[in-house]
Amino acid sequence: MEITDWYLKSFDEWLRVGPINGLITIVGLFAAVLVLGGLFALLRAGPKAAVISVVWGLREALLDVARLSPRRAWAVGLLTIKESIRRKVVIVFAVFILLLLFGAWYLDPASVDPAKLYLDTVLTATCYLVLLMVLFLSTLSLPADIRSRTLHTVVTKPVRKSEIVLGRIAGFTIVGTVLLCLMGAVSYVFVLRGLMHHHQIEPADLELAEKTWSEPWEAATPRPPLRLRTTRVHGHRHFIYIEPVAKPAAEGKVRSEYPAEGSISTEMEAGHWHSFEYRFQRGPDGRARLTCTVGREEGVFQARAPVFGTLRFKDRAGKDADRGISVGEEWTYRSYIHGGTAAAAIWTFEGITEDNYPEERYPQGLPVEMTISVFRSHKGDIEKGVLGSLSVGNPRTGETVLVSMFPAKEFAVDTQFIPRKLRDKQGRMRDLFTDLADQGRLEIWLRCEDPNQYFGVAQADLYIRAHDAPFWLNFAKGYLGIWLQMLVIAAFGVMFSTFLSGPIAMLATAATLVGGMYAEEIGRVARHELYGGGPVEAFIRMVRQQNVTSEMEPGLRTTLAQMTDTALEFFLRIVAAMLPDLGKYHFADYVAHGLNVSGDMLAKCSLSVLGFLVPLFVLGYLFLKNRELP
Amino acid sequence: MAEIVIETRNLTKVYRDFWGRQKVRALNALDLDVRRGEIFGLLGPNGSGKTTTIKLLLGLLFPTSGQAMVLGRDATDVSKNQRIGYLPEESYLYRFLNAEETLDFYGRLFNMPRQLRRQRTYDLIEQVKLGWAKRRQLKEYSKGMTRRIGLAQALINDPELLLLDEPTTGLDPIGIREMKDLILDLRKQGKTILMCSHRLDDVQDVCDRIAILHQGELKELGRVDALLKVRDVTEIHATRLSTQACEEVKQVIERHGGQVLSIGNPTATLEELFVKIIRESEAHPGRRIRADQHEADESGNGHAGDAQRTA
Ligand SMILES: Nc1ncnc2c1ncn2[C@@H]1O[C@H](COP(=O)(O)OP(=O)(O)OP(=O)(O)O)[C@@H](O)[C@H]1O
Ligand SMILES: [Mg+2]
Repeated sequence: MEITDWYLKSFDEWLRVGPINGLITIVGLFAAVLVLGGLFALLRAGPKAAVISVVWGLREALLDVARLSPRRAWAVGLLTIKESIRRKVVIVFAVFILLLLFGAWYLDPASVDPAKLYLDTVLTATCYLVLLMVLFLSTLSLPADIRSRTLHTVVTKPVRKSEIVLGRIAGFTIVGTVLLCLMGAVSYVFVLRGLMHHHQIEPADLELAEKTWSEPWEAATPRPPLRLRTTRVHGHRHFIYIEPVAKPAAEGKVRSEYPAEGSISTEMEAGHWHSFEYRFQRGPDGRARLTCTVGREEGVFQARAPVFGTLRFKDRAGKDADRGISVGEEWTYRSYIHGGTAAAAIWTFEGITEDNYPEERYPQGLPVEMTISVFRSHKGDIEKGVLGSLSVGNPRTGETVLVSMFPAKEFAVDTQFIPRKLRDKQGRMRDLFTDLADQGRLEIWLRCEDPNQYFGVAQADLYIRAHDAPFWLNFAKGYLGIWLQMLVIAAFGVMFSTFLSGPIAMLATAATLVGGMYAEEIGRVARHELYGGGPVEAFIRMVRQQNVTSEMEPGLRTTLAQMTDTALEFFLRIVAAMLPDLGKYHFADYVAHGLNVSGDMLAKCSLSVLGFLVPLFVLGYLFLKNRELP
Repeated sequence: MAEIVIETRNLTKVYRDFWGRQKVRALNALDLDVRRGEIFGLLGPNGSGKTTTIKLLLGLLFPTSGQAMVLGRDATDVSKNQRIGYLPEESYLYRFLNAEETLDFYGRLFNMPRQLRRQRTYDLIEQVKLGWAKRRQLKEYSKGMTRRIGLAQALINDPELLLLDEPTTGLDPIGIREMKDLILDLRKQGKTILMCSHRLDDVQDVCDRIAILHQGELKELGRVDALLKVRDVTEIHATRLSTQACEEVKQVIERHGGQVLSIGNPTATLEELFVKIIRESEAHPGRRIRADQHEADESGNGHAGDAQRTA
């Protein structure tokens, strides 16, 4: 999964740029509306009337928005809710239940990462269903009112157009919210139940364990742990190791015994473990009997709350670099460091202090998790894995101390602990918080130690897993993300439906929805960040089956194409600025990957959604206000 | 002179199509004044611009030129709606609501407190005689029932000014009579009513002043009685007059140089008959008419009053 800047940036950081860009767009938009309205009036009634109508219009608009009565808006909202209920939106819920039933059929709890699969499925299904429902409801309802003229009777009451637009948006939001809550609750149970399972201990192991436990052990070598295997459920089994307790015996030998009872846990498998309680008892016949229970699955669903650092690189000569090298397959997200050279990826973390990471909570040290992608220039030893090293460094003094050497786990999250006390090359003990961290700033260095192999990393690939948030809360946040998207779609739907006919408004909103999903890409085209040039140039290349990186042959045609592209890109940039980037509010990936959606993230998203809602509401109001209802 | 409630000056409306091309000039330079406390009728054949005028007065349409003032404010100002009631041409109501919900919804739009809303809803449903169907969704209503609930919604705020677009269409004769009575009653309460219709008898019965529109142009404007008075014809109504007496009266008229146009028993209008029958049936539910009785009625002195009319 690629973690975007959007996830990484803190609210404060974002606050410095995001809202300003948004405001510029909004102000630009309303200036355009004003100018267009003025021009229209100018053409119809001449300059003096135009000025009067613009000024008057502004005054009216301000009054209508300022004098908005929540009670009247609520009347419209209530009407909207009733309308939706009488139009049988419940069907959407029925469809959802059906989908889940089908899902239960197809979803395989024995797959590689079942939690991710289940979460992804329910969140995506809910998202699509709810967005589609809101799309239909919000775009069809006002036009139907206008066509059937029921709106006539409404607007001849003292209700303001602003209240109608607001009431509509609110009504659809409430309907969607209720549905979303229902779906969320059902999904939660569905996911939990879907992955719930119980293991037994293999009968053969049980017998063997009973036998082994009774046997005494006195030898020079320590006794191996007692191993039990669970039965295979959902395509996996767990191992359980009961560690012996050693007591010194005569002649330098050790006497080892397994504890008669204990409460331990199984090994991790398929992303989770189980608690395990056991007890050995000797029966009257002298034979040992083992009674044990394997508990419920644990750790299936997580919400890791990572603390991210900033990333910089050293190139192979050990000089500072902004990026690593590109190995050609992935072109932006990860960059690579060359193995066996001075190249390194360096993360700088803040707030690494004893206070933030007290010993009681972090007995093993600073928990670091990383996902490293490996690019092999030669096969090497596939079994062993490519060797890497982790060091910590003091950003002020430049001192670094090696923490560990490890074979990189590809495609999986690797957890390492950085101990509090570290021994440096000279054999001195160094304290993590006082010697290595500089006022809470600490560097973590990653190197690839195998010559001619490469490690690929991105900023989010290594983080401190400071704590975990409750999973249910993160799950709810996933739904909150869908809720935010729904809000945006409802507002767009209502806005379009104030001046377009039902089907057209629906098309426009659907286009916004799809555009919103690809807002990122559209932005990239507009900013000329893709290979192959702008839209026209890319089209020419496509028709001519030309390579995307080769130069276009110079000439009038190319110049023309590129000029058109510049114009198109300008236009696209405006479009991209106005499209809601729905992907930003789609937390499903994070929830499915067990990453906590932070409060900062919610704050950013809520504010940016608000940045859409307010202008959409005002636009919808303006359109409705200035249209006739024949 | 009474205060002017509705005022239009040079009010013109041209319907345009999407491209701004002129389609219809629905209303041309209309000048109207409606005074407080009167019933004003807008008359005209289909497509003469009556509905257009009302929509302009309500601010649903914007005038192409000219001005419309309602209750001293511009027609597009929402705050005037506080004191207005509007009954559309057809009752444009939410078909998924029932009668109570409908009135409650419109009451909310007036920011009415809940208690008052309940009270008004109850009273109005009684007034328009829909108590028996108040829990049914409007989509199950007949045309006349919809019309009635439409009227109730127009009265929800106890408006000073009512704009009624063809208030009697779709109603049964009883409904028509009730509607007319109601309109007269409202005037008694000091309300102003602007209604449009092409049913002349309705207009004649209730309106104080009328305007006749044709193809968007104002053709006639004035008091109904003055407009309808046939100045060179005299009407005498008398009762218990023998044939001989009639003959004498005729002679007297001729002696004075007048000309008798007709003498005979007047017939009631079908409307009067219908209303009478239904009223009777309501008073004595369950009574049916028998064929023989029917015949007897026909041969004997029927329902026609015993008045004689001389002109
Ligand atoms: N929405 C519209 N678009 C175009 N023309 C319209 C529209 N509404 C009305 N007209 C035209 O305006 C003229 C006046 O229509 P209006 O509805 O005011 O007539 P009316 O007097 O109410 O007739 P009726 O007695 O049939 O209700 C007609 O020629 C009609 O075709
Ligand atoms: Mg009409």
